[in-house]
Amino acid sequence: MGLPLKILDLAVHAAGRSLLKVPTLDVPAGALIGVRGPSGAGKSTFLHALSGLTEVEGSIRWGKTDIARLSPERRSAFRAAHVGMIFQDHLLFDELSTEANASLAALFSPAAKRRDIARRAADRLDRLRVPPGRRSVASFSGGERQRVAISRALATDPAILLADEPTASLDRPAADRLIDDLVALVRQSGKTLIAVSHDPHLLERLDRVLTIEDGALRADSLAETT
Amino acid sequence: MTSVWAALPVFMQNGLIAVGLLGPLLLVGALLLRGFRPWPLVRALLWRFRWANLMFVLLIAVSIGMGIGLIAQERGLRVGTAKAAEKFDLVVTAPGSELTMMLAAVYLQPAAVPLLDGFAYDRIARHDHVAIAAPIAFGDSHEGAPVVGTIADFVTHLAGDPVEGRLFQRSGEAVIGSAIDLKIGDRFTPAHGHGARAEEDAHDGFEIEVVGRMPPTGSPWDRAILIPVETVWEVHGLANGHRVEEGDRIGPPFTPELFPGTPAIIVRATEFWANYALRSEFTEAGETMAFFPGTVLNDLYRVMGDVRQAMSVMSTVNQILVATAVLLGLFILSRLFQRQLAMLRALGAPRRFILSVVWGYGVSLLLAGTALGLTFGFAAAALLSRLVTQRTDILVTASITWSEVTLALAFLSATSFLSLIPALVVLTRPIVENLQK
Repeated sequence: MGLPLKILDLAVHAAGRSLLKVPTLDVPAGALIGVRGPSGAGKSTFLHALSGLTEVEGSIRWGKTDIARLSPERRSAFRAAHVGMIFQDHLLFDELSTEANASLAALFSPAAKRRDIARRAADRLDRLRVPPGRRSVASFSGGERQRVAISRALATDPAILLADEPTASLDRPAADRLIDDLVALVRQSGKTLIAVSHDPHLLERLDRVLTIEDGALRADSLAETT
Repeated sequence: MTSVWAALPVFMQNGLIAVGLLGPLLLVGALLLRGFRPWPLVRALLWRFRWANLMFVLLIAVSIGMGIGLIAQERGLRVGTAKAAEKFDLVVTAPGSELTMMLAAVYLQPAAVPLLDGFAYDRIARHDHVAIAAPIAFGDSHEGAPVVGTIADFVTHLAGDPVEGRLFQRSGEAVIGSAIDLKIGDRFTPAHGHGARAEEDAHDGFEIEVVGRMPPTGSPWDRAILIPVETVWEVHGLANGHRVEEGDRIGPPFTPELFPGTPAIIVRATEFWANYALRSEFTEAGETMAFFPGTVLNDLYRVMGDVRQAMSVMSTVNQILVATAVLLGLFILSRLFQRQLAMLRALGAPRRFILSVVWGYGVSLLLAGTALGLTFGFAAAALLSRLVTQRTDILVTASITWSEVTLALAFLSATSFLSLIPALVVLTRPIVENLQK
């Protein structure tokens, strides 16, 4: 199951400049949230704040945990346990097989969890229809690479999935197939998804879309798309 | 404590030194790697930057190989020269440079040296404590090999084991060194002089027959042709040390008045202790000079010792430079894969895991370089030994010993520890900034 998100007086600053302000936001567990806005508006900063990758002011409460109050090392442990991340350009290790890439978290997880991570990674690869076999991912198409990256994000069975432009590097048909599979998989597992995207095809499939402009949350609508 | 250490067998001392040197490496490795499996990522990084990695490994290997190869070679040369001089207890020559005389008489390096007359030889040969007094007469050659005049007793002493064939028994016969490309029964005419200036036809009309071959001695004498000293004098148109009524007899005693002279006399004492007395007795101002080749070599080694120290310092400086280059390289390479490292941290990988990946990557390069360096060192020492042996006929067998391995382990341990620095620097870089690059 997913975790609910409650934000209060969130502010991110860098070099004395305000990058993002979110006075309040509530997201129920298992909701699928889109975040849109012009380039440089603060969408990625929002995602980084939610994952605990940046220092913030205010409160970001995932379930009962306020990650804004955690040390960097404990935020890292929180991500390992509860957050799956999907990046725009996949960030795979080309030298590793599909299975090894998908089960990357097993390398730094406790021995007791490694088998589960590997099993789950194999299952997600199968459900996302990634070609089986241990060949290197270097020869994969963009769509296939992103499916491996999604399998990697889901291999630890995180309650939260944070995606940064997951379809940006794909052509339309590949993006549409990926959206179908991603949305189905996330809904089925009840995870909380927050996806930064410019892709209307993705945003229209989500429960709610937030708009960020000039470093501030401007609009919050239910499945409102452009 | 010192006595406990001294009581330990050498292999145990070596083992403990190795453990002590590798201790920091093993400790850091154990602390960093505990509970993690960074090696698939280390392998991936090694493969991704394989050409740069190969260059690093070669750089380390050449540095280590050169250092230990040269040190091993220097030691091998010392052992080889000492071994080659083993059979030369005491050398008596005309006064001059002991080193020049030793190089000429023991290592058969051509040199123009003054001669000792027959009375000096006679006095030495007749001494109660002298077992062998062998005149050494050189100056001729055959196809680059020195032709040396001496006596049969010296050939027996030098050969140690019985010669193949027989010793020379009359003038015009020769016993060849083991490396001479002649067969028993072959005949040759010696050239006057050595090398390019040798006069090939100066001794036309004189033929020398090979009657025996010495076993290998590991000295320049393996490439020498030994003939009766009388033959050397005869081919130069000199008296042969004997009265006419003595007929074809060769070897001592010689008639002092008919003894044309010899550059050196190799003396073997009846008892070992007598050598010291003989040295002082045969060292007479303006007449003769006696010296132990071993002592001259020791003086030479003392000078070489300074050179060796200089080589060691240069080798250490070289390795420090290489270690610095390796660390700089690790900084550069770690920047190349910082996006992947940032991604791992974004996925929740602990800082210690990131450290273990970067450190494991650096240590893999250092380990491969050190292992290859030892191999290079061994190969370099073997090659140099062969070259030196070919050129000097001094049997040099340089091999990598525990001291060279210790040097390599010290390098590995120190650089492995230092490679934590680039690994730690990676952690100071902001994750978000690196993710967006």
